[in-house]
Amino acid sequence: MTDFQLLDAGQDALEQALSPKRKLVPAPVENFYKNYYVRVFAQAILTIWAVLTVTFFLVRQMPGNPIDVLIEQILTQEGISYQEAYDRVAASFNFDPDATLFDQYLDYIRDLLHLDLGTSITSPGTRIIDEIARFLPWTLFAVGSGFLISFVLGVILGMTMAYYRDSALDHAMSLVSSFFTGVPNYIWGLLIIIGPGISWNWFDVGAARGTYDPGLTPGLNAAFIGSAIEHALLPIITYVLATLGSWMLSMKSSTTSVLNDDYVNVAEARGLKDRRIITAYVGRNAMLPLFAQLSISIGFVLGSGVVIEEIFVYWGFGHYLFQAITVRDYTSVQGAVLILSSTFVFSNLFADLTYGLLDPRVRVTGEK
Amino acid sequence: MTKRTMILATMLLLSAILASGLGLAQGATLNVAWPYQVPPTGHFNTFASGGITLGQYQDLHEPPLAVLMWATGEYQGMVAEEFGWDADGNYGIKMVEGNSWSDGSAMTAADLMATFNIFRLRGDAVWANMSAIEQVDDYSVKFVMDAPSSLAERIILTTNLRPASVFGDIADRAAMMSPDDEGWDALLQELTEFRPESPVSGGPYTILPDTISEANLMMELNPGGFAGDFQNFDMVRMWNGETEVVTPLVANAELHYITHGIPPTTEEDFANRGIDIVRSGMNNGPGLYVNHAVYPLNLVEVRQAIAHAIDRIQNGVVSLGDSGVAVEYMTGMSDGLSEAWLSDETLDSLNFYDYDLMKAEELLTGVGFSRNDDGVWVDDNGDPLSFELTFPQEFADWSAAAENATAQLNDFGFDISARGVQFQQHPQDIYSSNFEMAIRNWGLGDPIPGRSYLQAYNRYNGQGQMAGEGAGAGMNFDNNVDFSGGMVNVFDLSNQSSQGVDKGAQAALVTQLALSYNEVLPAIPLWERYTNNALNRSFVSVPDSSDSIFANFGGGADNWMTTLILTGVTAPADM
Amino acid sequence: MNSKTPSPPHPLLTLLRLPFTLLFAVFSFINRLRANRAGFIGFLGLLAYFVMTFIMPHFIAFDGEVNLDEIAGPVGSRIQLAVHTDNAELRTFEDLAGKTVGVVDQTGGPSLIAPYADSINIEKYRWTSRRAGPGIRAALIDLANKEIDAMLIFSKSVEQIRADAEDAELQALFAERIVVSNPELGPPHLLGTDTQGRDIATHIVHGGRILILTAVIGGVISTIIALVVGSLSAMIGGAFDAAMTALSNLILAVPRLILLVVLAGLIRFENTLFLGFMIGLLGWPPLMRAIRAQVLSLRERDFVEAARSLGLSTYHIMFREMLPNMISYVMINFIFAITFAMYEQIALLVLGLAPIDDYTWGVMLYFGRSRGTLYNPDGASMALSPVLAIAFFQVCLVLFARALEEIFDPRLRAAV
Repeated sequence: MTDFQLLDAGQDALEQALSPKRKLVPAPVENFYKNYYVRVFAQAILTIWAVLTVTFFLVRQMPGNPIDVLIEQILTQEGISYQEAYDRVAASFNFDPDATLFDQYLDYIRDLLHLDLGTSITSPGTRIIDEIARFLPWTLFAVGSGFLISFVLGVILGMTMAYYRDSALDHAMSLVSSFFTGVPNYIWGLLIIIGPGISWNWFDVGAARGTYDPGLTPGLNAAFIGSAIEHALLPIITYVLATLGSWMLSMKSSTTSVLNDDYVNVAEARGLKDRRIITAYVGRNAMLPLFAQLSISIGFVLGSGVVIEEIFVYWGFGHYLFQAITVRDYTSVQGAVLILSSTFVFSNLFADLTYGLLDPRVRVTGEK
Repeated sequence: MTKRTMILATMLLLSAILASGLGLAQGATLNVAWPYQVPPTGHFNTFASGGITLGQYQDLHEPPLAVLMWATGEYQGMVAEEFGWDADGNYGIKMVEGNSWSDGSAMTAADLMATFNIFRLRGDAVWANMSAIEQVDDYSVKFVMDAPSSLAERIILTTNLRPASVFGDIADRAAMMSPDDEGWDALLQELTEFRPESPVSGGPYTILPDTISEANLMMELNPGGFAGDFQNFDMVRMWNGETEVVTPLVANAELHYITHGIPPTTEEDFANRGIDIVRSGMNNGPGLYVNHAVYPLNLVEVRQAIAHAIDRIQNGVVSLGDSGVAVEYMTGMSDGLSEAWLSDETLDSLNFYDYDLMKAEELLTGVGFSRNDDGVWVDDNGDPLSFELTFPQEFADWSAAAENATAQLNDFGFDISARGVQFQQHPQDIYSSNFEMAIRNWGLGDPIPGRSYLQAYNRYNGQGQMAGEGAGAGMNFDNNVDFSGGMVNVFDLSNQSSQGVDKGAQAALVTQLALSYNEVLPAIPLWERYTNNALNRSFVSVPDSSDSIFANFGGGADNWMTTLILTGVTAPADM
Repeated sequence: MNSKTPSPPHPLLTLLRLPFTLLFAVFSFINRLRANRAGFIGFLGLLAYFVMTFIMPHFIAFDGEVNLDEIAGPVGSRIQLAVHTDNAELRTFEDLAGKTVGVVDQTGGPSLIAPYADSINIEKYRWTSRRAGPGIRAALIDLANKEIDAMLIFSKSVEQIRADAEDAELQALFAERIVVSNPELGPPHLLGTDTQGRDIATHIVHGGRILILTAVIGGVISTIIALVVGSLSAMIGGAFDAAMTALSNLILAVPRLILLVVLAGLIRFENTLFLGFMIGLLGWPPLMRAIRAQVLSLRERDFVEAARSLGLSTYHIMFREMLPNMISYVMINFIFAITFAMYEQIALLVLGLAPIDDYTWGVMLYFGRSRGTLYNPDGASMALSPVLAIAFFQVCLVLFARALEEIFDPRLRAAV
């Protein structure tokens, strides 16, 4: 996600959270809530359905098909004849290219309603839900912690910038944040590999790859957790570097605007201590717009890791999606998209719903 | 700021700990690499896609019947102790006795029966010439053939043996059915969805399922398996991943042998670190294909001029360094196969298409072409020789070859724009004739010479039946070739040349194939791809590079490394 | 000049004044920008990029010469003059007049010495396939034996051949009898050479234009669509608004990777700029949502209410009252949209999903990575140079956009 998308998505969520409620003010309160929740939830489901439908037909429009892609890979690796490769591959696929698209679609939706994501094409018989369960946690862990670290750091630094605005510190930090934002995340990744990794040999590029050290049993043991953290460090650092700038800037402008509000001046006039003002008044109010932004950007978190995961060979959800696209495993792509779009839609929904709860001003407007 | 410093410091500390931990590997472990999928995507059904076969290292857990020694052209028996054609034209195999699978069952003819019955269920090509497979005794099997052929022999002998204890049930049911029966398709589906709980090995090493991670997996010595009693390594660590992933591991000496095609720049770095680069011919490489439906690319003279206008040496070096070896004989098969199968007179009579711009100029002016004011060639209709050359952009060496060939041809006065296409799309474009010029592979990593021509005459030329979904006319080449040696159908010739067992008769057909290809040049071979296997001799001891074993293929069947492991030659370097 | 009546101004006069007005506007803008140091740096950076990618290519030719002995050469590598120890005084082409000088074909030597063909005896050696192969070695042996007086050879090869010479006798011979008398004979490769032995610096100069144009096209298209759809949605409301909001949600929720792979496969690009169109067509939803929100909030402001109560048309309200209030916001987001389009197209190239035809920074990065230069310190420049070129371009854009933001309306973002 780039900086401006996050910011604007946040503004928009705010606006959306405001507008529908205004229109519905005359309705009785309980009825209104009921209607509103039902409606937004229905909309969310409808959006997901639309995304899945579009994806279903789109993935089958991708050039090539799973059989030929695998044949091509075997041919380049092993130098056998096309005939042999075809024999080996075609029969080992659980994929019938002759079934009509619409029938396949109906089957897919029917299975989906039974909460069945189906089986992989390129690994016939393997349930997609198992594959997702294998890959998703790593991305949630790595990108998720990167996301949180970046948010917390960004809020702290942003507030600092606002308090010392127009000082040399502010200017320097602005410059740094612009630099962080400007350099795309995959370039951060490459720079980390080339610089500290290869040229200066600070860490072992080979050993850092993967999600955990071989030979460890996944579970709640110190060795495994340590190893998982260690392997996630590079993706996390990359993610923090790439997103920190935008949080800093959002928090700075948000804090600046709160600092100029009357009630802060009043609080100061009342002689409240600085710390109390910062935490209770400024911090809380300044972070409100950021929360909307936060929950919306969560929707993009899963999809943002593809290039990073490829560069660091960190096999998470992004790698799974990219791999599925590469080998044209239609059903796996569909499974991955279901997760992606649901996260996106529901985090948007969450932003809409919680914004009113967090911001007293909106709540007052709604209940007027 | 301090937090980031701390994170960095933690990272460094942990990496240091990790690095020291890796140094403490116990016993002798062979570190090699092949990409695989981790479970649940990957699994232990080696007949189904997604199975963890480990490519050429399949030989280590599912041993082959025999290995071809390329230097002599003779098969060396592995699991097959005796093998050959009998008087009736059937093929007989007698297996080595006394080996067992890692699940304890004995390795017998039943395994061979199971393996080939499953091939029949899958519809493998080997059954095209085979009518039945009969068990003679506990260790012998007879393949009842329609007609003997070198091809059938090769397919049989390079088969990796699977355990009957795992696949026997499905194989037996398949043996009792015919493809027209109801339930055949269901059985096939049962096969592809079959998931053995654990890997069963008949070779010297067994995969340890608990060790499979996305980084690597361990294979443990299987003393009862084929060649298991005389191995020099206790363990094999199979690193996972493609070239970019394994490169740093080789540089760090964590990984000691890879068969991945490595770019020349990486090669140089490896060489500086004292890592040996082992090269052996692959019998194939990139060639410049043209669409014969596009005028004037259908003119022999134009294709010949193109061949003269590209410096193949330069093209090979910039694409794959010392492993991009320019094709000299231009017969449509590798120079090695040409020398092995063609007589000296035939070789002398070939046109070598040396880099010669004057000659190219002559050829083009000879068919009435001229240069316009910009120095670009125009054909006899006044149209400039302006084409699009496509290439699969994921293949680093082919993309470099495309880039360089384009530059060279443009220097000569063509107007070519190169364009990268996703590798999934590119063959489809060729199959459906949706191209003008393209970089695709010529030749085949197969010792049977006639099979090298299947790329040009069958796969990329729509007259074959196999060309997949987007089947079309392909490169639109007429397989009925009229050349100075007469009129031949080159597709039939290439099929016939791998039938029978009379090498003399085969050579005669191959000679016709080579001469016609050399004259007509349906596609222009650029260079032959040699392997550039990185081998760290500080850890792994194998014979010197001059040994004849290195004539064997460096990837796929007959791989020299797996052959050396199966014969107990490969050893830790300090032994 | 000849105007006597100040109003109405003569159209010609306005036209004549236009350049000055523009110049003044630009000047005052730059003046305001100078107050914002970071923004000014960004602005200067963008100017530099413009000069480098749009003007310099006209003066610096694309160097496509393949040099087989200089594959993935390090920064600053160049052709040197190797001579026999007895001839150590030979340093320049002038010194070489009348001497016999060896060059190896398919390296940089022949083209460098060609202009002096009249005065110097040129001895050509044929390149063979090995890097340190007989071509260079034969020439070096001849040089050691004084059969030729000097030899043109790449800096990297000199070291390599000395180190690699397989027999110790030869190695000693070279070390004893051959010296490099002029290490700076040929022009240096400022950024080294790529995997085909071609100069990287000229590729950087030539490889930015299309990339930047593509990004700008992507930015223009997404901004225009966002502006039109966003303001219409807000003004019209109702079903149109609902439909557009749903569409924007849909586009955001379908993974872009898939969309672009499919489109790249279906549409046969005639040139790279089409990628810009596609990115633009898919990139508008976030900005559209923001503009819609802006318009909704502007609608409630006093001056718009006033205009509405005066009975002015929607058209008038939109273009006369609201657009001027949003123009700076749109400008800033346009620049962010460019950075986004750049981000997107390079990501596609890095993943190998965008078709490759022009030799842009993105393609250099892609090939540099797939051909393994990252793992060789000597050759890393092939991937690193475009990485830095792209990164600094993005940083300049962001700095510039943020400066604009502060100049136009420092509280703009927070005010919503």
